[in-house]
Amino acid sequence: MKKELITLNINGDDIEVAVHPWRTLNEVLRDELHLTGTKLGCGTGDCGACTVLLDGRSVSSCLTLAVEAEGHEITTIEGLSPEADHGDLEHSPLHPIQESFIQKGAIQCGFCTPGMIMSAKFLLDHTPQPTEAEIRAGLSGNLCRCTGYNKIVDAIADAADKLAKGE
Amino acid sequence: MSDNQDFSVVGKSLPRSDARIKAVGAAQYADDIFLPGMLYGKLLRSPVAHARIKSIDTSAAEALPGVKCVITGADIPKIKYGNWRLVPESQDEYALAIDKVRFIGDEVAAVAALDKDTAEEAVRLIKVEYEELPGAFSVDEALAENAPVIHDEYQQQTPNISLDRKISYGDLDRAFAEADLILDDVFTVHATSHAYMEPCSCVAEYDHDGRLTIWTSTQAPYFVQCLLALTLEMRENDIRVIKPYVGGGFGGKMEMRPWEFCAAFIARKLGRPVKFTLTREEELATGRRRHPMKIHSKVAFRKDGMILGKEFIVHLDGGAYNSMGPTACFLCGNFGAMLYNYPNYRYYGAHVYTNKPPAGAMRGFGAPQALFVAETQMNMAAEKLGLDPIDIRLMNAMETGDEIPGVATISSCGFKESLLKVAEMTDWRERRKNLKPGQGIGIGCYSFISGGVFNWFNTRYNFTRAEVRAFDDGTVHLMTMASDIGQGCDTVLRQILAEELGLKISDIRLTAADTAVTPQADLGTWGSRVTLMAGNAVRKAAQEIKEQLYKMVSLKFDLNVIHDMRCKDGKIFPANRPDRNISFGEAVRMAQRANRGEPIIGYGSYTPRNKGLVTPAFSFGAQVAECEVDRETGAIEVKYMTTAHDCGTPINPMAVEGQLEGSVHMGLGYALCEQFIMKEGKTLNTTFLDYKLACAEDMPPGVSVHIDTYEPDGPFGAKEAGEGLVSPTAPAIADAVYHATGYRCMDLPITPLKLLKGMKKI
Amino acid sequence: MTLPQFKFLAPTNLDEACALLKKHQGKIKVKAGGTDMIVRLSHRAVKPDYLMTLKKIPGLNEISWDDQGGLVIGALALLREVEVSPIILEHAPMLARAAHATATVQIRNMGTVMGNICNASPSADNIPTLVAMEASIVAFSERGQREISLDDFFLGPGRTALAADELAIAIKVPAPAPKTGVSYQKVSQRSKVDIAAVNIGALVTLDGAGNCARVRISMGAVGPTPLRARQAEEFLAGKPASAANLAEAGRLAAADASPISDVRASKEYRKLMVEVLSQRALAEASGFAAGN
Repeated sequence: MKKELITLNINGDDIEVAVHPWRTLNEVLRDELHLTGTKLGCGTGDCGACTVLLDGRSVSSCLTLAVEAEGHEITTIEGLSPEADHGDLEHSPLHPIQESFIQKGAIQCGFCTPGMIMSAKFLLDHTPQPTEAEIRAGLSGNLCRCTGYNKIVDAIADAADKLAKGE
Repeated sequence: MSDNQDFSVVGKSLPRSDARIKAVGAAQYADDIFLPGMLYGKLLRSPVAHARIKSIDTSAAEALPGVKCVITGADIPKIKYGNWRLVPESQDEYALAIDKVRFIGDEVAAVAALDKDTAEEAVRLIKVEYEELPGAFSVDEALAENAPVIHDEYQQQTPNISLDRKISYGDLDRAFAEADLILDDVFTVHATSHAYMEPCSCVAEYDHDGRLTIWTSTQAPYFVQCLLALTLEMRENDIRVIKPYVGGGFGGKMEMRPWEFCAAFIARKLGRPVKFTLTREEELATGRRRHPMKIHSKVAFRKDGMILGKEFIVHLDGGAYNSMGPTACFLCGNFGAMLYNYPNYRYYGAHVYTNKPPAGAMRGFGAPQALFVAETQMNMAAEKLGLDPIDIRLMNAMETGDEIPGVATISSCGFKESLLKVAEMTDWRERRKNLKPGQGIGIGCYSFISGGVFNWFNTRYNFTRAEVRAFDDGTVHLMTMASDIGQGCDTVLRQILAEELGLKISDIRLTAADTAVTPQADLGTWGSRVTLMAGNAVRKAAQEIKEQLYKMVSLKFDLNVIHDMRCKDGKIFPANRPDRNISFGEAVRMAQRANRGEPIIGYGSYTPRNKGLVTPAFSFGAQVAECEVDRETGAIEVKYMTTAHDCGTPINPMAVEGQLEGSVHMGLGYALCEQFIMKEGKTLNTTFLDYKLACAEDMPPGVSVHIDTYEPDGPFGAKEAGEGLVSPTAPAIADAVYHATGYRCMDLPITPLKLLKGMKKI
Repeated sequence: MTLPQFKFLAPTNLDEACALLKKHQGKIKVKAGGTDMIVRLSHRAVKPDYLMTLKKIPGLNEISWDDQGGLVIGALALLREVEVSPIILEHAPMLARAAHATATVQIRNMGTVMGNICNASPSADNIPTLVAMEASIVAFSERGQREISLDDFFLGPGRTALAADELAIAIKVPAPAPKTGVSYQKVSQRSKVDIAAVNIGALVTLDGAGNCARVRISMGAVGPTPLRARQAEEFLAGKPASAANLAEAGRLAAADASPISDVRASKEYRKLMVEVLSQRALAEASGFAAGN
C-alpha cells in the first residue's frame, strides 16, 4: 500500500513525512524523525512515557494515528524550552517544570521523565495552582518505577510556584 | 561517627549529573539509537509451556520480501550459558531453544528484516510443530511423584531441584525443647515484575574487523560481554558492550539475554546493524520476575520475647531456568537469620524448576520474601507474648560488633536507633492504642547487603576498578565500568571523586560502562554493590593521584616530611598551612613536567577481603505503615509511611531519599496490587492495564530519617541504600492491615478478596 | 507491536460515512478517539480492511441542554470535555464523575463517552449512570435516524444493537424529574486508577412523602452486558430509602448479578461488591434526590 504524504506541525516546524495510515504518531516521531525524547513504554496507553501535547492536550502518541495528527500542533519534550541556550548552563534555564524536576530529584532513570513533564505541562496549563491531590490525579496516566512519585509531585508544585511568580 | 559537616561535596543533595539531559529528552536509551542500514529484529516465542520441538519451518518467513535473516536453535552454537559460571552445570539456557521449550515465551527463533512490520509478519509465518509434554506449574507440582522432568539432561538428586543450600549452627533441637512459644507457619509469596519503564532493547553492530559492538539496556556489561563471547564462540576482547542510558533495571537486566545474542549473531552474519526491542507484553508475559516462594518458618521464643532459634525451609519457584535463582536461594538463607540474633539456626533452601517464565534477581534478592515471613512472625510473636512489637525487636536486635556465624561481623549497625526513631516519630505506643475502626498501624524492618562477596560469576578480575586521569586545566576524567541504570551512581561516584580531590562536580568528566574503554573490571549494578565497591575503587584511584600531586606541594614549599596534606576547593596544601597552596591544575602540570610528560593517572580497585562470603557491610532500618481499610469493599489505603534507616553516610541524601521512596512504591505494590495472574504457565495480565503498578494517587506521603552511622569499610562511611528498603514495606502494611481488621496475611499479596474472606465477609 | 495494515477513511459528513459503512460492511471498523480501537488493532483482536474515523465530521462534539429535551452529548465529545463541561456539571454532574473515573488523563483527552459506550465493555465507566438516567443512543443511517434506549443497546461484550450500516451520533439523556438524584459507584481491586471490578449507577426519584417513587439501578462488570437490578428496583418502589430497605435492595441486586471470575476480580468478590456498592449508590442518590 502506498504511503501518504502528510505535514505534521511539530514544535512549531512543519515537517513533511510519508506514512502508512497504520503508523502511530509515536512511530513517526521516533522511527522516522528520530525525535526520541518521546518514549515508548507500553504501547497500550497505560504508562504515559509517550505523552505529547496535541493542540495543548496531553495524549498518548502510541494511540494516535500519525495521519490524524495532521492539522494539529504537536509539542514534544524537545519543544518545551525552545529558547534555552544549552551552552550556557548557569544562566539559561529550561522550562520551569524541567528545572524543578532537575532540582527536586524528580528524575532517576529518566525514561518516564519526558512524558511526566508533558503531563505536568498540561496540568499546569489548566490548573496553575494545583493542590497535591490535583497533581497526583494529573499524573494518573504516567507510571514511574523509580521515584515513588513523591519527588515528582514536589517538583510540579515547585514549578507551579515558579510559574506563578513569572519565573 | 560522621564528619558530614567537613565535606564539600559528599553528603550534599546535589541534582543528578544526568538530570538535565534526561529533562530535555536528549538522553539516548538503546531503542533511541539508529544506525545506517539497521535492521529490526523480532523473536518467536513458544506458545506452549513444555514441549519437544518436532520441526520448524522457516521457509515462508524467509520468502517474505524484506526479511534478511531467520535463525533457530539449529543455526547457533550448541552452548548453554548462565550467570553462575562457577558451577558450569547450573548454566542451563540456550539463546534459542534446542530440542525443547520449557515455558510460554521461551525463545524459539529470531528474524531480522528491513522494518518492524516485516519482522513481526515474518515471525507469524514461522511454523513450529510441538509435541506437548505435561507441565509443572508450582513447587508442589514439580516435586510431586511422577512430575514431568523439566531438564531431563541433568542428573538431579531430586528431579526438578536444580540446586539447594543448607546452613546450620547452634543446637536448634534444644532451642525448640526449651521454648515457651513456637511459631510454626507456612507462608507463600508471589512473583512480581521489575516493570522497569524502559523495555529491554539492544543494537548490535559488526565492525568488519572481527569485533562486535552492542549497545544494550543492561545492568552488567561485563556479564553480557563474557556470555556473548561464550555463546558466539568469540574472544571476550572481540566484544564491546556499551551501556547507554538505561531506564531502570531492578535486577531484571543483569544477565545476557537471547535478544542480545540474536542481535549480535545476526549482525555478525549479515554485517549490518540489528536492533531488538521488546514489547511491554513480551516483558510482562515472559520476562524475569521475583521468585515466588513457599516458606516454612518455625521460630522458638522464650516467654520474655528472646529468640532461641529458627528453622527456615524455603522452596523457590524458579521457573524454567536457573537464571539468578541460585543466588536468591543462597541469600534467602542469610536474610532469614538477619536483623536479630538467632543463636540456633537451620536453613534449607531449594531452587525448583517449573514450566513458568524464569524468576531472576529482583531488588532485594531473597530479602523481601525472607523478611516478609520473619517480620510477620515477629509481629505474631509480640502479640502472643503480650509484648510491644518494637520492644520484642529491640530485645533481639543486632548491633555493631555482632557476629553472624560463618557469615560476617556487623561493622556498623543503626538498627536499634532506627526502631527507637520510628517509635518516636509515629508516637507508636499511643497511636497504636487510639485508632478508629478500619485504621491500623504496623511495623516492618530490614537489613541488606552492600554488594556480594561470593564470586559465582567467577570473574578473573577485581570486583571493580576505577581509573582517574588528571589534567592541568584542573579537571579529571573518571573511567569506571560501574553502570548507572537510574539509581544515580554516575552522580555518586563523581561526588566521591570530587570530595577526595577537592574539585567541583563540573570538573569531573565521566566515561562509564563501555567494556572497550573503561577498566576491565566491575560486575555491574546489583546487590547494592556500587556505592561501596566502586566508591572505594574511585577513592583509591584518587588517592594515587593525590600522592603524585602532594609531592609537588612539598617540593615547592620545601615542606617537612611530616605534613598532612589536603585537597580542597581546587587547591592542594598542607593541612595546617592552607596559605601554602598550589591549584590542582598547576600541581598536575608540575607533576607531569617532573615526569617528563607522563600523564597523571590513578588506578584503584576493590575486592572485598576478610569480610566473609556474603557482604562487606549491612544496612538496617525500620518502617511504620499507617493504613485505612474500607471494611466493606476490602480496599486498603496506605496513608503514611515513616522510615528510619541506616545507610552509613548518605553520599547524596536526595538521591537516597529517591531510592527510598521508590522502594516504598515497589514494596507497596508487592504487598497490595502487583501480581501475575497465571493459568497453567500462561501469564494472563500482560499489559499495565492489568499488571497494576501503584500510580501517583496510590502512593502515600511519608517521612524518612537517616540514622547516623559510619561504615568503616565504605567510602566516606557509606553503605547500601534503597534496595533493602523494598523489604519492610510489605510486612509493615500487612501488620497495619491486621491491626485494622484482624486479618493476618500469610499469602501475599493482600487482595480485597483475601481480606474480606479473612474477615469472614465472604 | 505495530498495527495491522488497513485503509484509512475520513469522511467529512454523515451521509458519506454511512455510505462507506454500508459499502464495506463486515470489513470496516469505526473509530472516534481510538483509545480502545488502536489497542485492539495492535493485539490483532480486530483486523479490519478499513478503519474509518468520525473526527472530520463537524458538529459531532456538541454538548447541549434544554429543559424539555434534556442533555445531548455528541459522539465526538471527549471524556475530558464531559468531565469539565459546565453544562454537565450543572445538569448531570454524575456523568462528569463517571467520565473522570474513566482511565487516565491522556485517555480522557483522546477518548469519547460514545466510544466507551459503543465498545460495549461490561465494565465501561460511563454506562451505568447513563442507563440509570434512561439515556438513549441516536443512530443514523441512510434509512434515517432512530433512538435506541440504552436498556436495549447492549447485546453482549463488544456487541450492540447498532445495525451494520448505522452510526451512533449522539447520546440523549432526558431531563431528570424533580426530586431525582443519581450516583455512580465503582470499586477497583487494586488502584485508584483502574478499570472497574464492579460499578453501579443508580437513580432515585422521591415522591412527596419522601418515598422512592422511581428507582433505576445499573450494574457493570457483573454480566455480559450492563444489568439492571430489577428485583431491587421493584422492592424499593414506594418504600422509604431507609438503611434496612437499602440493605435488602443491595442483597436483591446481588441476586440479579451474574458475574464471572477473571483477571480483574473473582465472582464471589463481585457479588459482594454489588451488594455494597448498590447500597452506597442508592444512599447517595436518594440523598441527592432529597436535596434537589
